[in-house]
Amino acid sequence: MQPSLFSWLGIALTMLVAPTWAKSSSGDKVLVVTDAKLEMTDYSQFWDGLRSRGYDLTFRKTSEDAPATSVFDVPSFSHIIVLAPSAKTYPKDLSPQSLVHLLSDSKQPTNILFVLQPSTPSSPLRDLGREFGISFPPPATPLIDYFNAVSPSNATSLLLSPPLSPHTAGFEGGKILYSGVSHLRSSNPLLVDFLNAPATSYAADPSEPADAIMEAAASGGEGLWAGGRMGLVTGFEVLLGGGRAMWVGSLELFKDAAASVDGEATANNAYALALAAWTFQETSVLRIDAVEHRRISETSPREQYRIKDDVIYRIHVSKFDATIGEWVPTSEIDDMQLEFTMLDPHIRTALKPSSAEGWYEAEFKAPDRHGVFKFIVDWRRKGYTPLHSSTTVSVVPFRHNEYPRFLSSAWPYYLGALSTSAAFVLFCSLWLLGGDEEAKKKKTQ
Amino acid sequence: MPPKKVTPAVSQSTSAISGALQDLVQSYKDNTPKRVKLIDAFLLFIVLSGVAQFAYCVLVTTFPFNAFLAGFGSTIGQFVLTAAFRAQVNPATRSQFTIISPERAFADFCFGSIVLHFFVYNFLG
Repeated sequence: MQPSLFSWLGIALTMLVAPTWAKSSSGDKVLVVTDAKLEMTDYSQFWDGLRSRGYDLTFRKTSEDAPATSVFDVPSFSHIIVLAPSAKTYPKDLSPQSLVHLLSDSKQPTNILFVLQPSTPSSPLRDLGREFGISFPPPATPLIDYFNAVSPSNATSLLLSPPLSPHTAGFEGGKILYSGVSHLRSSNPLLVDFLNAPATSYAADPSEPADAIMEAAASGGEGLWAGGRMGLVTGFEVLLGGGRAMWVGSLELFKDAAASVDGEATANNAYALALAAWTFQETSVLRIDAVEHRRISETSPREQYRIKDDVIYRIHVSKFDATIGEWVPTSEIDDMQLEFTMLDPHIRTALKPSSAEGWYEAEFKAPDRHGVFKFIVDWRRKGYTPLHSSTTVSVVPFRHNEYPRFLSSAWPYYLGALSTSAAFVLFCSLWLLGGDEEAKKKKTQ
Repeated sequence: MPPKKVTPAVSQSTSAISGALQDLVQSYKDNTPKRVKLIDAFLLFIVLSGVAQFAYCVLVTTFPFNAFLAGFGSTIGQFVLTAAFRAQVNPATRSQFTIISPERAFADFCFGSIVLHFFVYNFLG
């Protein structure tokens, strides 16, 4: 019982300590864009959670023009929460194009959390979703599920159990209250599935919930937004720059009122903060600190290698630890690969964690092919920051004096040449000697 | 010195082949000057060396091909130079090279051979 007591104590301590010390890897300034109809006090637990992690919240209504999201094309905020599902128009600096531009900045991306609700009209958000490969069912068709509903009379309020994942680090299991809209994800590889709809759920007008099924049955199942492939919470990560966006289909998820259902506590706040933590680049954030390459027999890198050289390549990867707000070396990636590429990868080998924390290394023999090669590490995993590194080096052939000489297999030829020379010298000396003798003979005769 | 006629009395009978060979050898021994014999011995050694290198190349390995070319080429080059030298100093063919004295021929032979070996050693390793 003692260890479990300690572990409970540990969990309680981390829950107490972690939020107060947490920091984002990309900045603390958050712009909350809200609707005129929404009461911000209804979401105070979520705001308090963010503030206790050190975020600096700035509220702005969609009808207002200031503060702007960027000044002279420099982003003013690190993160934006778009909590304005029913706004029909957005100011210019919050238009879909502006938001995509902010998100896809390769140097200083702005992370964006989108929150939707079923009544979301044909708003800019719907168009913006298409940019991410997310499409929504017709307006005013929330998610309905009689099997996971809080009560049969209210089939749009669902109690769901999100899966545990390393990307939602602060969330430690439990039921969440979800009341909102589902969406369909395209095959875009940059999308990250966080929460899927239950298999028994479908999207329909709650006043006529059977109509959608009748219509779908009549048309052979066509047009029914149903099943476990529909998404409820979906992340998106930009490949270049690592900006993150999150689409959450339920405004209720963030509400204080969802903290308990029928007197039973839910995990809504923890899940909402965990989603925000991923979106705001607290969790699953990686970076490459250093890259080294050299001959195994040497200590310093070279700009060019010779064919068949034994080369060692090392790369150092750090992970952002939000609990201390620092980058710490990580050796937990076990599927990173190195490619040695000239147009095609000539060598593709595993980068194994080395004994030094954070270092991954691969040893290989340079291919028997000269040209301009690149060491390429391109590691993309859903939810994690994509890692990309490219280093250009030349691979040159042997110089004329670097080939092995005096091979044992050539000794017959060496002996042949030497013996010919020796025989020539011997012949010449005999010839000269013999010449004298014959001359003498001739004289004597 | 008599002209080098090595087949004066070969009989046409089949049993005389070995006799003819013996005659050939005997005639060579008798009629060939000592210095030409020396040249012939040198030529024979070069031929054997070249054949041995070629056999090694064909049967074992061509790998350091430059070494093969150098070794084999040295035997061929030396053979050609020596054969030319033999023609110039052989009393039987001496009449065709009246403007070149035997000493001059030997000097030419030495010079050619030295140049040949210079190239051979450059190409060998």
